[in-house]
Amino acid sequence: MRLVVMLLLLWGTAALAQPEAPLVARLSQDRVEVSTTFDGASILVFGSTAQPIGPGGAEILIVTTGPQQPFTVRRKVRVLGMWFNGPSARFAAVPAFYSVAGTLPAWRLLPEALRSQYHLGLDVLPMASSGARAPQFRAALLSLKQEAGLWQEDSAPVEISANRLFHSRLPLPATIPAGEYTVRVLLVESRRVVAEQVQRFVVERVGTAATIADVSRGQPLLYGVICVALAALAGWLGSIVFRRS
Amino acid sequence: MQVYLPIAEMSVDAFLLVGIGFGVGWLSGLFGVGGGFLLTPALLLLGIPAPVAVASGANQVLGASTSGVIAQSRRGNVDWVMGVVLVAGGLFGSIIGIQLFAFLRGAGLVDAVVSIFYVVVLGGVGSLMVMESLRAILRRRADAPARLHQHFWMHGLPFKIRFRKSRLFISVIPPLLVGAGIGLLSAIMGVGGGFMLVPAMIYLLGIPTAVVIGTSLFQVVCVTSAVTIMSAWQLGSVDIVLTLLLLLGGVSGAQFGAQMGGRLRGEETRALLGLLVLAVAAMLFWGLIDTPDHMFTLGPG
Repeated sequence: MRLVVMLLLLWGTAALAQPEAPLVARLSQDRVEVSTTFDGASILVFGSTAQPIGPGGAEILIVTTGPQQPFTVRRKVRVLGMWFNGPSARFAAVPAFYSVAGTLPAWRLLPEALRSQYHLGLDVLPMASSGARAPQFRAALLSLKQEAGLWQEDSAPVEISANRLFHSRLPLPATIPAGEYTVRVLLVESRRVVAEQVQRFVVERVGTAATIADVSRGQPLLYGVICVALAALAGWLGSIVFRRS
Repeated sequence: MQVYLPIAEMSVDAFLLVGIGFGVGWLSGLFGVGGGFLLTPALLLLGIPAPVAVASGANQVLGASTSGVIAQSRRGNVDWVMGVVLVAGGLFGSIIGIQLFAFLRGAGLVDAVVSIFYVVVLGGVGSLMVMESLRAILRRRADAPARLHQHFWMHGLPFKIRFRKSRLFISVIPPLLVGAGIGLLSAIMGVGGGFMLVPAMIYLLGIPTAVVIGTSLFQVVCVTSAVTIMSAWQLGSVDIVLTLLLLLGGVSGAQFGAQMGGRLRGEETRALLGLLVLAVAAMLFWGLIDTPDHMFTLGPG
């Protein structure tokens, strides 16, 4: 219901305002709060186009990128019958979250050069690494990230209604990292990008858990002293409350 | 009820944590040990990252031992001089342990090395406990008259100090070394180390049993405090939410366990504890040799 109202509103405003704008895109929210009870959320990406989209017309691609973070992939090796983490490859800056979706898969709409330029597809995501060189490390990063729901490729297609409206749900898993996210919406026609809109949203940790994590990172020594005091106090109080003799 | 652990960065059932705390507290009250050596492996099995399990385990032991050390010092059962020497050694050992831990984390070897420490230490201690208590049960009748303590090479070392309460005049080197060893284990395994400290104090240092419990608790509280602060400072791995939930169960469980423990005989108790220790060691050993489901792991950094 909410979706329909939003789409109608958007259609109305888009039609009234600038008829020459080839592409308008918006997000259902620009802030995602991760509280102690957060177990995932989703953001709606929606918009309209001046020209018809869908079969026979132009197509829409949506690519979402989270904060860049370093990751290390380690391979287990067997030493003296026991399993240890052995060789590793370090990926200095890969998106902690990545999602690409479209009315059709990106590889059917654009030549590889353009896909690389816009990072459209897990196969063209830049993943510079140091350390172990074997291609299995890159493959392992891809599959571990996809298993965690943090990298998604065409998990849900972009839906079209009334030839000029599109919308897509972007699922954010419970483990979504905090930071700034960029949503890039592309209008594609005849294997070219003809219009582009960029929207942003922020994932923020809120509540007690966020405060604890902040203190532990910002004031680690003070945090350690507080942990000692709290544990001692809790232990002492508990022994009085639960005394049984 | 799911609760988000801010440092472990994962959601866990709060009742499960309180329950684990209660179970471990009950066993530790029953056997009169700190229980850190049961708690950290339980957290590892739950999927808590090893650095967080170790640091929060040490923090929990600190809380669980606080009331004990207060009670013991009121009864005058703490040898403060011996305590300070043991703590000095313990601080040194735990500083080394934290540095080693930081290095191992960088190399991605924390999980395996923590497990190996557990397998070796618990395997050794457990075997000794079971053998010693079996022997004691077999010749329960043949009571040998106990001497105050035996004299051997240790008593020839320099830097002798008078430990009035322990009625000892010995070199500070052995208690420093014992303290350092326990401090190292505390930092790497997240334990208080009472299960090794108490025998070492009785058999190696010759401290009278009356002051052993109080003095060892004093050392445990001081060293786990140091481990907590250093882990928070250098590794950022203390999860206070986890610690407090475990303490909530642990403190109540310990009271029930202690009440029940009074009805068990010494040798049987030690044999049971030894078997429990061996079971934990065996479980962690299996984790080391079992072929992992995933050949690759993903970590930050």
